[in-house]
Amino acid sequence: MAVSVHESAGARASRLRTGVALFLVSEACLFGSLFWTYYYLRGLTPGWPAHFPSATLPAFNTLVLLAGSGTAWVAARTVRRGSRTRLSAALLATAILGAAFLAVTFWEWGHEVFRPWTDAYGSVFFTLTGFHALHVFGGVVLMLALYARTVRHKISSRNHTTIDVGSLYWHFVDLIWILVFTTVFLIR
Amino acid sequence: MKTVADSPRANRETSEGSAEEGNLSRKLSILIAVCGGIAGGGITMLIRLGLGLHFWGTGPVLVVAVLTGFFAYLSASLGLRVLLSLDSVRGMLTGLGGAAAGMCATSLLRRASGLPAWDADPVLTIGMLTGVACYLVSLGVLNDWWRWATGAPAREERRRPIRGWRRYFNVDTSHKVIGIQYFVTGLCFLPFGVLLQLIGRTHMIDPHLGILPSAAYESIISDHGILMMFVVVLPVFSGLMNYFVPLLIGARDVAFPRLNAFSFWLTPPAGLLVVLSLMAGGFDTGWTAYPPLSASFENPGMDFILVGVYLAGGSSILTAINILTTVFKMRAPGMSFFRMPVFIWSSIATVGLSLVFTPFIAMAFLMVLSERLLGMGFFNPSMGGQVLLYQFLFWFYSHPAVYIFVLIGLGLISDILPVFSRKPLFGYKGVAIANPAIAIGGTVVFAHHMFAAGMPAWLRVPFMVTTLLVAVPTGVKVFAWTATTWMAKMRLQTPLLFVFSAVILFLVGGLTGVPLGIVPIDLYLHDTYWVVGHFHAMFFGGFLMTVIAAIYYWFPKVSGRMLSERIGKWQWLLMTVGMFLLVVPMLGLGLEGMRRRINDYEFAMHFQALHAATAVGGLMVFAGLVLLGRNIVMSLKRGPVAGDNPWGARTLEWMVSSPPPEHNFDEIPEVLDRPHMHGVAGSVHARVGSKQASQGEQE
Repeated sequence: MAVSVHESAGARASRLRTGVALFLVSEACLFGSLFWTYYYLRGLTPGWPAHFPSATLPAFNTLVLLAGSGTAWVAARTVRRGSRTRLSAALLATAILGAAFLAVTFWEWGHEVFRPWTDAYGSVFFTLTGFHALHVFGGVVLMLALYARTVRHKISSRNHTTIDVGSLYWHFVDLIWILVFTTVFLIR
Repeated sequence: MKTVADSPRANRETSEGSAEEGNLSRKLSILIAVCGGIAGGGITMLIRLGLGLHFWGTGPVLVVAVLTGFFAYLSASLGLRVLLSLDSVRGMLTGLGGAAAGMCATSLLRRASGLPAWDADPVLTIGMLTGVACYLVSLGVLNDWWRWATGAPAREERRRPIRGWRRYFNVDTSHKVIGIQYFVTGLCFLPFGVLLQLIGRTHMIDPHLGILPSAAYESIISDHGILMMFVVVLPVFSGLMNYFVPLLIGARDVAFPRLNAFSFWLTPPAGLLVVLSLMAGGFDTGWTAYPPLSASFENPGMDFILVGVYLAGGSSILTAINILTTVFKMRAPGMSFFRMPVFIWSSIATVGLSLVFTPFIAMAFLMVLSERLLGMGFFNPSMGGQVLLYQFLFWFYSHPAVYIFVLIGLGLISDILPVFSRKPLFGYKGVAIANPAIAIGGTVVFAHHMFAAGMPAWLRVPFMVTTLLVAVPTGVKVFAWTATTWMAKMRLQTPLLFVFSAVILFLVGGLTGVPLGIVPIDLYLHDTYWVVGHFHAMFFGGFLMTVIAAIYYWFPKVSGRMLSERIGKWQWLLMTVGMFLLVVPMLGLGLEGMRRRINDYEFAMHFQALHAATAVGGLMVFAGLVLLGRNIVMSLKRGPVAGDNPWGARTLEWMVSSPPPEHNFDEIPEVLDRPHMHGVAGSVHARVGSKQASQGEQE
């Protein structure tokens, strides 16, 4: 007997939102373990941080990433009105801003006076910023995928959950960056 | 066991296959297998000679010979074409190729940059990673996501769906197929883990015979621990959740079927890496892998464990997302939280814990790996690191993990007991709420593993108090079970017998755990056999016995056939006696001061009889598992047909046929009341049309 197993798009969208929210909880715990490592070592080590990385470039980078959050927000708003050109432009802009953030981060890593294997500070510095950069990279890939789907007419004003959760992920990565920036570059 | 569970269908398929394709006779297949084995062993010896090693290494040569012989046998009896059409076989072969390519590339890169070409740690680790990546790509679990990301049109359904045993060796998104895949994968590794430790126990009967050198003994007990927890318990429970959570809440599948398939297929390589660790020299840190030993230990066996656990952990996070979303979003109409079976409550408590805490062990293991590969310094005091930091991160996961390993078992007890007691579960709400209570309480007790580790002394008392508090919701459960059996007209069938043993063993484990939570006693008992006895009672009571009860309870639903009660009762007797024989002497040894993870003791201390009793107990547990395997094989072939509801149970899975139809429910049932209201007049758990879940009951 053939059984009808079709279900509403609304039910699927709501599941996707729940699933992504749970995924972000798990990601938050991942960064939680890194912050724990950082503050634990910092609390027990006299003379921390050992190397004083410059905060100028990361401050600029914060603006880049926040601008990305802005364009992601524009994307999530635009998709409901159905303007495909503006939507794809906003997604592409977000991806480009993320790529710019990564480029600046790599340049900055290359100019630090310490390496991951110099000491414990170097290890936790590169792991914390590195894991965040990995998540930005994931965000760039996600934005490019959403761009490809938009250009190929897979996303419409009635089918926009993926844009919503994509922009939610971007805001999450932004929030984590603000904590990373404060922890690593501002609190001396 | 993988072929065992599907053997009747497998046999039918192969006989059909041989009729159609004119395959070879069994004798010829065996001959080909022997030739294949000899060829595999010979090639290994040649490679060893080429690498400048002695040509004979018992472990690698024999393992490769057995594997190639097995592969040759399968390809002769099934036909190479059939074999290669299976996603799993193709994935495994591609994975091996990818690993070899990754290792070669790493060696070449190292040579090009002026380093010595061979350094076991980085070369093997990168080989593992490229191998797993190639395996996943070749399996095809990523195809749909690639299509999604590029905006390509979705894949069309297969015109001829795969049927029979082949489904279980291919990537499949049905939650019931994945459930069986998970469960059987876990069960495959179970006898291996037990056998491994039996060698160690045999050694301990008379350590002066020197059956195992000290390093080998330590590798064996460490691998036994990691294997049992991450490659047996996690997949077995994931399997049960995958199969039964959608059925019990009235859903047609889990929330994200493709993600589900992906997370299952991470499990086989994880298990393989944990087993291969022994081939690569093992690791002698114990399952806890504390640095500085784990970070400086020379054998690359450590890397295998770190990567393997990483894969298993990733798989359990994805399963957690899936199960939680399924329970939150896909319950049948009327299935409020307080109408869910306790198994569902325990499942969400368990996966909630793995969702939140697995990242901590993931990071801790990654940091150890980075110390080994890159010389980073998180835990290295000479670089400004802190050794205790690892223990905090590790136990922050690994204490909640012990609840991950038992909570589902407790849920199974709570659901099976009322069915055979023919009474409602006593204090349903309390038992249900005890699950999140244990989960939440269990998150703030982790440092009790470190009372003797030199952590700040002021942390001791708060963690002692929280530890003792967790005993309260656990006690609630035990009281509720006891009260459920009070004045009940019990049906003493096999699942109930196993549940009884589980409750009593769990009680033993719980009561022996309380002294460990008390700081002054723990300082004496820390790292003795008392601890080993305590957590083995917990694992037997919370995991092994409950899972076997679940096998006897749910096997009729999954296969449509009953298991033999006669073999089941013998197995119960053998395993119950064996488990007590294993656990109680360990507790005595601990009180006498026998340290764990030590492969020697003085005969003058009179430990020998207790060690021998433990070994006999372990052997009896293993014999019980063999009986179970035999029972499953026999019943799959010619067990009596079960019917829809052989136990007169009331939960939703018993309302559908056995085995359940492809989409579980033709019509989604409507839930009206709590489960397990046996003997309560007029109470109906659920109904579909005119069919009620109390049908088929003989009150």
